[in-house]
Amino acid sequence: MRVARLWLTDFRNYTSVEAELAAGLTVVVGRNGEGKTSLLEGIGYLATLSSFRGVPNEALVRSGAPRAVVRAEGERESRSLIVEAEIPTSGRGRVLVNHQPLRRSRDLLGALRITVFSPDDLELVKGGPAGRRRYLDDVLVSLHPKHDALRVDVERVLRQRTTLLRQSGGRLTAEIATTLDVWDAQLVEHGEALVAARLELLQRLEPELTKAYAGLAGGGQVSARYEASWPMDGGLAAALAASRANDLRRGVTLVGPHRDEVALGIDGLPARTHASQGEQRSLALALRLAAHAVVREVTGEPPVLLLDDVFSELDAGRSHALVELLPSGQAVLTTAGPVPEGAEPERVLRVESGVLS
Amino acid sequence: MYAGPVQDLIDELGRLPGVGPKSAQRIAFHLLKLPKDDALRLASVITEVKERISFCRRCFNVCEGEECELCLDTRRDPTLVCVVEEPRDIVAVEKTQEFKGRYHVLQGAISPIEGIGPEQLRVKELLARMDAEGIAEVILCTNPNIEGEATAMYLARLLKPLGVKVTRIASGLPVGGDLEYADELTLGRALEGRREVEA
Repeated sequence: MRVARLWLTDFRNYTSVEAELAAGLTVVVGRNGEGKTSLLEGIGYLATLSSFRGVPNEALVRSGAPRAVVRAEGERESRSLIVEAEIPTSGRGRVLVNHQPLRRSRDLLGALRITVFSPDDLELVKGGPAGRRRYLDDVLVSLHPKHDALRVDVERVLRQRTTLLRQSGGRLTAEIATTLDVWDAQLVEHGEALVAARLELLQRLEPELTKAYAGLAGGGQVSARYEASWPMDGGLAAALAASRANDLRRGVTLVGPHRDEVALGIDGLPARTHASQGEQRSLALALRLAAHAVVREVTGEPPVLLLDDVFSELDAGRSHALVELLPSGQAVLTTAGPVPEGAEPERVLRVESGVLS
Repeated sequence: MYAGPVQDLIDELGRLPGVGPKSAQRIAFHLLKLPKDDALRLASVITEVKERISFCRRCFNVCEGEECELCLDTRRDPTLVCVVEEPRDIVAVEKTQEFKGRYHVLQGAISPIEGIGPEQLRVKELLARMDAEGIAEVILCTNPNIEGEATAMYLARLLKPLGVKVTRIASGLPVGGDLEYADELTLGRALEGRREVEA
């Protein structure tokens, strides 16, 4: 879906705002803290029903207001579409498509897809494995909403299993063993399905990653290898059985999709520890560009690009390369400084204290 | 905070499932405004269910007396037992009029997070019924979610060695609906559980 118009009510620092977005590039300018990112966050909320800044939904509601509302009018397959989400400070939110409430909010996923670039993306390369797993899983959900259910199921099984491990007090009675068997079987079923989906995705991502990195850094061989926390040829069931004694003693599930890693490398060396800051930044951008390309290829529709203040962190060379590499389609870019060189905005919006002009 | 009895009422209502502090307050003030007769009628039905209704000693359905109507009904097949999580699930299955056996209510599903293990459920009682009632088939009718599936698997592992037939209800498409409106999870499950067409 392409967003033509966006309304935010009691969202972050906005009391009420309406923004018209270009079919191509819209640039949002304003000083820091005026509400540029919140505009992107609002668009992003309609895509994932959460904030890409990783804050709880209550934090999105303007302080003092009972609920925030995000609404977008757009076009999808040349039909107009209005999506609207209510975010209450407590309780469950409501989601409406063309004024009809959805029975399950999850059914909205897939209507609007986004690719977010933010200064925090550097953490994808420098940070721990959790960020890279989340990156893969987010792309999976973008490709197909069924992956959201899979991810939720895996998390739930893990919580149940871990709680059981703690309740056992480290002692494996016959009763605990039988119940644990059941949770192991559930984790194997859902966990292996999630890992299979991740592996397939990674295969699609790798060539795009190489291409994007080469474009940004001018060369260098990038690799992205899935490192499971267990010997994968033996299967998760065998690994859980082997790890059971340790799991019981430590009260945690030590093997499974929640412990896996995506090892990123540049020219054969681990990017996390051996790459320069500049190389890491290029790799982070390349990860986003690759995800964008894969989602576009699989779904046949380019996600809306949300570029949150990314150019301020880049040197002139990389900034220019990124502008060159940005795929066509709708994009919204925020900046506290000048419009990046080479970018050709169709529309410029100015934000000051939650007011657009 | 409100005067003694009002706050007590809000606190008690707030303990009910699905009732948060705000709803509890709203219901409490609604009750205060209600004519005395209406409010007392509510109080008396609560007293009545607690005094007269208990759980069936055989299947743990809600019942008046020692055993529920379904267990006492001699036309029902005693060798066929449908295992459900809650008494309200019996109502759902009964509406189909397709099932002529007996029931067994577990009173929940295995969920360590909620502190529910097999020992908190009516599992031992189910096992005791197997021999005593000569049960030949157990249909596992727990919910098609993580906890329901885990419970079904747990029971299957206990029951199969006893030599009884253990089945799980199929999950699939609502009858009378269109494929195009089915969510992909349900449709996926329905494809998995497909069967050959008799010709």
